[in-house]
Amino acid sequence: MILVTGGCFQGKTAYACETFGIRREEAADGALCPPEELYRTKLLYHFHEYIRRLMESGQEFSMERLKRENPDVVLVTNELGYGVVPVDRFDREYREKTGRVCCRIAEEAAQVHRVVCGIGTVIKDG
Amino acid sequence: MLYLITGGSGSGKSAYAEAVVQRLGNTPRLYIATMYPFDGECRERIRRHRAMRAEKGFETLECYTGLKDAEVSGYGTVLLECMSNLAANELYQEGGAGRQCVEAVLEGVRRIREQCVHLVIVTNEIFSDGIEYDPETRRYQQDLAVINRELASMADVVVEVVYSIPLVHKGNPEVTG
Repeated sequence: MILVTGGCFQGKTAYACETFGIRREEAADGALCPPEELYRTKLLYHFHEYIRRLMESGQEFSMERLKRENPDVVLVTNELGYGVVPVDRFDREYREKTGRVCCRIAEEAAQVHRVVCGIGTVIKDG
Repeated sequence: MLYLITGGSGSGKSAYAEAVVQRLGNTPRLYIATMYPFDGECRERIRRHRAMRAEKGFETLECYTGLKDAEVSGYGTVLLECMSNLAANELYQEGGAGRQCVEAVLEGVRRIREQCVHLVIVTNEIFSDGIEYDPETRRYQQDLAVINRELASMADVVVEVVYSIPLVHKGNPEVTG
């Protein structure tokens, strides 16, 4: 499993596709794809949106299932949580949940990359 | 040694800071808690942090404002969490330092620093969401940013935590002497 994170519009997905040799057409959009896509795709981008959709439908993210069914997936997520605490309760919970889920993924991931201005830095390797 | 641990919300910075404290040896440990229990959500957050700290040998001192008057002598390691709450309390709470927030917080940190062997401070990155807030909130962002910069300049070690991964900006967190 590989996690790619960074701010919005930093070129994270393009960087991930190029770095890991995945065509954009092969990638799934976490904002739109059927939930089951997470367990089949090589790369899922907008992973933070995927988490938001899970929360909106009252579901929990399952690390165990992801490890079992798609252990080599590349997940691309916005790095949320670098702002003022949101006024809206759901926004606060979403931001917090995305952080916690990404901590779990980073713990399991073989590599974590952080992208700034399109440039990736490996912040965890092995 | 002074350690400054920063990161976004949900980044795992508290767990990292507690791990740093545990590496600093078995001296008496004090946790300075700054979150005021405004509502159920705050209380839940406080409960989660207490559970994380259980069994790690901390005594807890609640300090919402007036850090300079906190009595911490006799403790080897002090963990202060979180600077973003302390700054907000000083700015907005009745009896807080108001416009003198930055000076009050920094004076408090210096006093604590003189009384213990190691001080670990957790702060927060609240500066990069691209939203133009109202002047009061901008004031808070600015005060916390100035505090963070001053603390980083005083600190021996500065670490930013990204999804539990430490990115070292200053010093060496492995050196504990």
